[in-house]
Amino acid sequence: MKHRRVPPGTRDEAWALATLPFNLLCLTVVCVLAAHAPHMPVWYTAALFAIVLARWWQRRQEHRRVSAWLRIVLLIAVLAAVIAVYGTPFGREPGAAIVCGLLVVKLLESERLRDARMTVGFACFILMSALLFDQSLAFTVVVGLMLLPALATLRALEPGLPEDRWLPAFKTGTVLLAASLPAALLGFLLIPRLATPLWGAAGNGVARTGISDRMAPGDLHSLLTDNAVAMRIGFDGAPPPDSQRYFRGLVLWEFNGRAWLPGDAAKRPWPPAPVATRGPLVHYDVTLLASQQHWLFALDVPVAASEDAQMGPDRTLWSAKPVAQTLRYRVASATDYRLGPATLDPRLRAAALELPAGFDPSARALAERWRAAAGADDIAVVRDALELFHDDGFVYDLDAPPLGRNSIDDFLFDTKTGFCEHYASAFTFLMRAAGIPARVVVGYQGGYWNAFAHYLLIRQSDAHAWSEVWLKGRGWVRVDPTAAVSRVILASTGGAMGDVGGGGTSWWLPWRDRLDIVNRWWGQTVVGFDALKQSRLFTPFGIGHATAQMLGIALAIVVFLALGLGALLAALRPRDKPRDALAAAQQRLQRKLARFGVVRGATEGPQDFFARGTAALPDSALTLRALSTEYLVLRYAYAEPPPERIRAFVRNVRHFRPRRVVK
Amino acid sequence: MDQHLATAAATSIDAMPHQRLDAALAQVNEVLVGKNRAIRMAFACLLAGGHLLVEDVPGVGKTTLAHALAATLGLTFRRIQFTSDLLPSDIVGVSVFDRDSGAFRFQPGPIFAQLLLADEINRATPKTQSALLEAMAEDQVTVDGASRALPQPFFVVATQNPLDMAGTYPLPDSQLDRFMLRISLDYPDPEAERRLLTGENRAEMTSQLAPRLSGADILALRRQAHAITASPALLDYVQALLAASRKHHDIRTGLSPRAGLALLACARAWALLGDRDYTLPEDVQAVFVAVAGHRLIPARNLARDALAQALLETVAVE
Repeated sequence: MKHRRVPPGTRDEAWALATLPFNLLCLTVVCVLAAHAPHMPVWYTAALFAIVLARWWQRRQEHRRVSAWLRIVLLIAVLAAVIAVYGTPFGREPGAAIVCGLLVVKLLESERLRDARMTVGFACFILMSALLFDQSLAFTVVVGLMLLPALATLRALEPGLPEDRWLPAFKTGTVLLAASLPAALLGFLLIPRLATPLWGAAGNGVARTGISDRMAPGDLHSLLTDNAVAMRIGFDGAPPPDSQRYFRGLVLWEFNGRAWLPGDAAKRPWPPAPVATRGPLVHYDVTLLASQQHWLFALDVPVAASEDAQMGPDRTLWSAKPVAQTLRYRVASATDYRLGPATLDPRLRAAALELPAGFDPSARALAERWRAAAGADDIAVVRDALELFHDDGFVYDLDAPPLGRNSIDDFLFDTKTGFCEHYASAFTFLMRAAGIPARVVVGYQGGYWNAFAHYLLIRQSDAHAWSEVWLKGRGWVRVDPTAAVSRVILASTGGAMGDVGGGGTSWWLPWRDRLDIVNRWWGQTVVGFDALKQSRLFTPFGIGHATAQMLGIALAIVVFLALGLGALLAALRPRDKPRDALAAAQQRLQRKLARFGVVRGATEGPQDFFARGTAALPDSALTLRALSTEYLVLRYAYAEPPPERIRAFVRNVRHFRPRRVVK
Repeated sequence: MDQHLATAAATSIDAMPHQRLDAALAQVNEVLVGKNRAIRMAFACLLAGGHLLVEDVPGVGKTTLAHALAATLGLTFRRIQFTSDLLPSDIVGVSVFDRDSGAFRFQPGPIFAQLLLADEINRATPKTQSALLEAMAEDQVTVDGASRALPQPFFVVATQNPLDMAGTYPLPDSQLDRFMLRISLDYPDPEAERRLLTGENRAEMTSQLAPRLSGADILALRRQAHAITASPALLDYVQALLAASRKHHDIRTGLSPRAGLALLACARAWALLGDRDYTLPEDVQAVFVAVAGHRLIPARNLARDALAQALLETVAVE
């Protein structure tokens, strides 16, 4: 007989949760917490882990229930902690943190089979929600594997498993997971999807997911130390040389004394500024990872782009909707160009010269001195500024000291330490103060050339800011003041820094390249499989645009075919042929009992099996006892059982309906 | 155990000796507390017409079992303590010269009993052991060319200590086959042990036991056991077990046809003890380890009983 330990106070012992399923349930919850750990506060995750561990240990020791009061207190604590950390219970991160906390509380009250099943379902949902934060191949695989404990728990909750053996439960879980893969693939391909994922709107447009449209000294720091992939670019021909790899994102016109913003000038509804190109264009595909922002990136300076990318007045590219999923677009750029009309529009000229009053007097004075010395020679002023950065003890360092109210003055005359933002900001300020129209451009610069797959990999750490100045007769000219800095201090915090070019050790590079090929495939093919691509699914069959109805019909057809095939296989499968009518009837009886969880072991004697069935189905015990006795007599007390008794037995088995009071 | 399945079809069992059989079982159970299954095995062995080997450490009740059985069964009882200097003639008896009659007269040895306790059988030399084993196989002894039948029923309970191997002659595998069942008694559970500690002296209890069965009853019960139905389905199962033992990769030598006969006989006796006139696969399973455990010769250094149990778990039952 199986011995189930039942906590006192559990109302019905037959429905209580045994030790093995509870342990597996704990493991499931731990996996879910681990999947969400990367974006939750460390102390919060640690506290949840500790609660699970404490509960596991306590149940193992004394096997008591957790009091309702404690659970309510924990519930309140979870909500309070989340609000304290995030300031709101709404949104992606706070929501995930709350459901993780709720899951742990749910575990504490899981004492019956029904609770445990609900907890597993809840855990699977929360596990899936971890994919909202990370959709990389590696993480998706990890999440898939983390389903195993959940499936093993479900198996352990069903009867017929040896009490303290977890391996068979995991085996069943693995088989289930593997068997579900074709169904998952089918659903992935054919279930009609929304043009924008549900969570696309929930994204919060902070710089964490990429470059933002506000640049203040220090803002880019978190990006420059972030090795996450921003985009991948495949060129039709040879890639442009390193010195030309400037990827234009946003143009910032307005300076408010502290930060650079797009300003009204960037939002003017004008056609793109004219470009005169020299030399051949560069054609390439950009695969941009989800950034939740509207702006796209293109090699300086884009001439034409595919329909997904609209060209702004400053020759920046825009997407109509925030980039919530991997986006692929095609661009043609000129690397040798003349940007802008022959004469600058007076309104733009004013915007490109505007400086806030009452800020940075020393910097203004310096720029005016340069102007006075250079006369009308704008290029000399530019050169003066670059020489200043080159010769006057300026240092490139990601650990830039904080700046005061007059941030430009502080930087130019005091700290002299900073990175691209500081230099671009100060340079543009100086140019404006000297009467040269100037603006800030943010984007990416450099990147890593993957020689195996022939594409350029741009990481967040390649984020960069530079300036464009208006020179008479030459239009907007790109000036990268950061490049003028002679002394570079490699920050200890950063990985590869875009400003100064790649890092990493050599032995690992080929492997990183190969891995990145897989990641690119995943991003383009799986994560990037959007409604548009789905609608083109049937192009090989002559249907250019598949509607949701067509997809639904296709799904129904495939499901129908699969079910039919499965039924056919099941029908054709060679079964243990019952040797006579008596054996057939007995197998039928066994199947009826199996539906109620009484499954006969292959080596189990018939008497033992029926005794088990009688105990498990008390409401049908009398009939079952009579049937089993009759079977044993017919099968074992006769060399040749009388046919009329066999017929009666067959009839009785057919009419037998096992009953069990379902709670 | 099998009460709820005491069947409507079971009508042919002669009620009288069977009732006395239940009483006898109950009486031995009273002396040897907490050993229900081992006692049932001993009875099954007796009813199947075999001999019993009890293998266990000293002091767990081997001798008490034999004494209680003898007293309850109403059989003549002899005990031979096997030692290394025991001679075959010490067991079977000798012919001595009778001066009065002027002829040799046979002085029967202790083997001429209905229930023989052969204590620590592995301490005697192989020659002495084989004298006993021959008697067990033939139900007769041959002295000076004359065969002498042993009294019926003839039931040998042999014991041996599996741990203390110094100065012993372990029974070879071929000899072990003569014992129909090999059982062990094991330590009592705490409840039984408490009853043992607080109850009367076991030897005293045994001496006060009244016979519950007679030799004639036992012979009648043996005939009944032999007549118990073994259906084709059951014989299939027995044969499947035998075949599996011969194919198993961990077993060097599988079960012999004699083992098959012993298995069937024991299963029938087990069914009789369960008050049934037909044999179920459960009966076979109940006695299988005791019948097969000492007969299987493992290919590697494996526990024989565990091997028998494993075998049982590979053969499907209809």
